[in-house]
Amino acid sequence: MSSFKFPVINPVLHGELRLKIMVALDSLNDADFMYLCQITDSTRGNLSAQIAMLKDAGYINVSKSGLGRFSRTTCSITARGREALSAYEEGLRKMFAQEVPAQEERTIINL
Amino acid sequence: MTTTEELDLISRVRGEVLSRKELTGENLFLGWGYPTAIVLLLEFAALLIWNEDWCSWLWVGIPLIGAPLMIYFLNEDYERTHSRTLEQNVILMMWIFIGFASFVGGTAMGFAGVFPSCYCAYQGLLMGMGCFMTGIILHFRPKTICGIIASALSAIPLFLQGDLWPWQLLVASLIAVVALIIPGHLFRSYVRRRNNS
Repeated sequence: MSSFKFPVINPVLHGELRLKIMVALDSLNDADFMYLCQITDSTRGNLSAQIAMLKDAGYINVSKSGLGRFSRTTCSITARGREALSAYEEGLRKMFAQEVPAQEERTIINL
Repeated sequence: MTTTEELDLISRVRGEVLSRKELTGENLFLGWGYPTAIVLLLEFAALLIWNEDWCSWLWVGIPLIGAPLMIYFLNEDYERTHSRTLEQNVILMMWIFIGFASFVGGTAMGFAGVFPSCYCAYQGLLMGMGCFMTGIILHFRPKTICGIIASALSAIPLFLQGDLWPWQLLVASLIAVVALIIPGHLFRSYVRRRNNS
């Protein structure tokens, strides 16, 4: 039996939209709400809820500038968020590396 | 989502962010370059005509005109891209620091009474260094070369002392043209070409 232990999945990042937001912000210094709406292809309401969740987890910073119609919500990733994303990605890669040989083994046995 | 789907999503979003990256900041150099060159020329003319102490404080006009222009152009860039990359942020912070160092240095030199002997060389060197480093970060060679030339030119004001000091302002204005205006126009046409293609 394999001694491989599956890494613990971070529940905050284990959501398609939240993962998309985090990856986009990881590649940038900061981005506004409009940019995140476009890149994640999501609705404003859903995006707001996911951003609030990431903010509560301390993974992103949210700042508002301007007034009224001209206000802008800007998000940026925190050091904690960057660490969590990197650990999550590493965990996925480990799981993927474990899955691929197992699948190959199954294919050989089936042959 | 499966592991493969999640890894695929990560690389897809990274690729999309990369493909949306636009070069910006093409007007920032001109926004600082023209006020610097014009104010220094006015200061030079004022010193030749009136030769009063207040004339040497005219340089304060540079940040007074340049800073609002910078804020305006930064907002304009953000309206266009809705995001800022790490490189853009590094360049922005570097130029804000250069502006701050230039302002604090100029004020200190003014009160210490050494403004005529040092300021133009100091400001020229700061502009040249900023231009050189921006060129390196953006991989834009004309900026790097202009930065080196401007830094070399910043030594000239040190040889124009005594009664010749107003001529330092003329050299500093030339440095602003070499470090900010020429690379600013070259970068602007490069950015427009690249973003349109």
